[in-house]
Amino acid sequence: MAKIIGAIGTSHVPTIGVAYDKGRQTDPAWAPLFDGYKPVAQWLAEKQPDALVFFYNDHATTFFFDMYPTFALGVGERFPVADEGAGLRPLPAIKGNVDLQCHIAESLVNDEFDLTIFQEKPLDHGCASPLPLLWPHDPDWPGALVPIAINVLQYPLPTGKRCYKLGQAVRRAIESYPEDLKVVIVGTGGLSHQIHGERTGFNNEEWDHEFLRLLQFEPEKLLELRHADYVRLGGAESVEQIMWLAMRGAMPEKIRRLHLNYYLATTTAMTLALYEEGEEPAQNAAVATENIPAQV
Amino acid sequence: MNPQLEGIEQIEGTYAFDIRTSNKALNLNRFFWNMIRAEWRDRYKADPEGVMEEAGLNETERELVRNEDWLGLVQYGACFFVIEKFARVVRKTNLEVYALMRGETFEEFMATRRVPESR
Repeated sequence: MAKIIGAIGTSHVPTIGVAYDKGRQTDPAWAPLFDGYKPVAQWLAEKQPDALVFFYNDHATTFFFDMYPTFALGVGERFPVADEGAGLRPLPAIKGNVDLQCHIAESLVNDEFDLTIFQEKPLDHGCASPLPLLWPHDPDWPGALVPIAINVLQYPLPTGKRCYKLGQAVRRAIESYPEDLKVVIVGTGGLSHQIHGERTGFNNEEWDHEFLRLLQFEPEKLLELRHADYVRLGGAESVEQIMWLAMRGAMPEKIRRLHLNYYLATTTAMTLALYEEGEEPAQNAAVATENIPAQV
Repeated sequence: MNPQLEGIEQIEGTYAFDIRTSNKALNLNRFFWNMIRAEWRDRYKADPEGVMEEAGLNETERELVRNEDWLGLVQYGACFFVIEKFARVVRKTNLEVYALMRGETFEEFMATRRVPESR
């Protein structure tokens, strides 16, 4: 049977892709970001997962607002990397696994998640920004992607609770897949940022760390937050952190964090976290509980 | 009213993009969305007025586009994630657009950032 061996939370800032393509990995302004991905890339190289399930959002690239799915799962042996206005990136087309994708689709729909299916369509920076930092890809990717797009652009968005339940359903889907595959769940987006209106540039580091603490130890508290709460606490576009809730929903109750990189350079608190099933050592958990805002 | 958004109007400088807004500004957002196609970009650069006409933009929308009035576009109902595709076509980085939405010069905006040399 297939098995979830861990989970990753990662920002999907498009500028990461631009900096990557321009070779800025050692630029002092960018090294803290790129170096932060190395331990997770190393973990992936050691564990060799067969597939990554990517909870991401399409930035009105492959889907336009005249038909914009709330949840959509991608099926295909290959997905091109999208042109988002600046031309094509020098990356191989992203690999899929049709049998696994179809199984997850069948399982989710029978589990009352009636999602849209898209096939072989381009994936934008929601996937393509962090993916090359996680996986080597010359000449080709080492495994398959199962892209699951979540609407975080055009309200009404699915609630945080619904995203968490989607993650739980994805776990059931993976654990009912007959082949012995190793799967890693990836939740993308965030953390705090706002990139529209006069409030552009808003960040909230205290909230970001509280979010990470709650996500790990008390995710049920995050499920009660409304979208307006995310907007207020972390900036308008931080509402996409509901995709981290989908990732969390696919993980067991007890998880431990193996790695965290938090780098706020300009407008987005670029964050990378790696989790595995297990108990967080008490000492680390105590550190994580410091500096909690009185009221979420 | 969407209960998930209750109270959002009290958050300053923030414009929730919902289906009502989206419906009102559909042509404008589609015009920007089409910038993901090289053929549309090239035609726009060669004949901006003709392509705006073809996209069915009204005069208000055309004026916002002509002026590259980023904040005005957001306030009108354009979604940032299609605006950024247009920004690539007119050779503006996202950071430059952010500064303009805040009413600041680029250098003023970058001076407010943690790592101003990250650009």
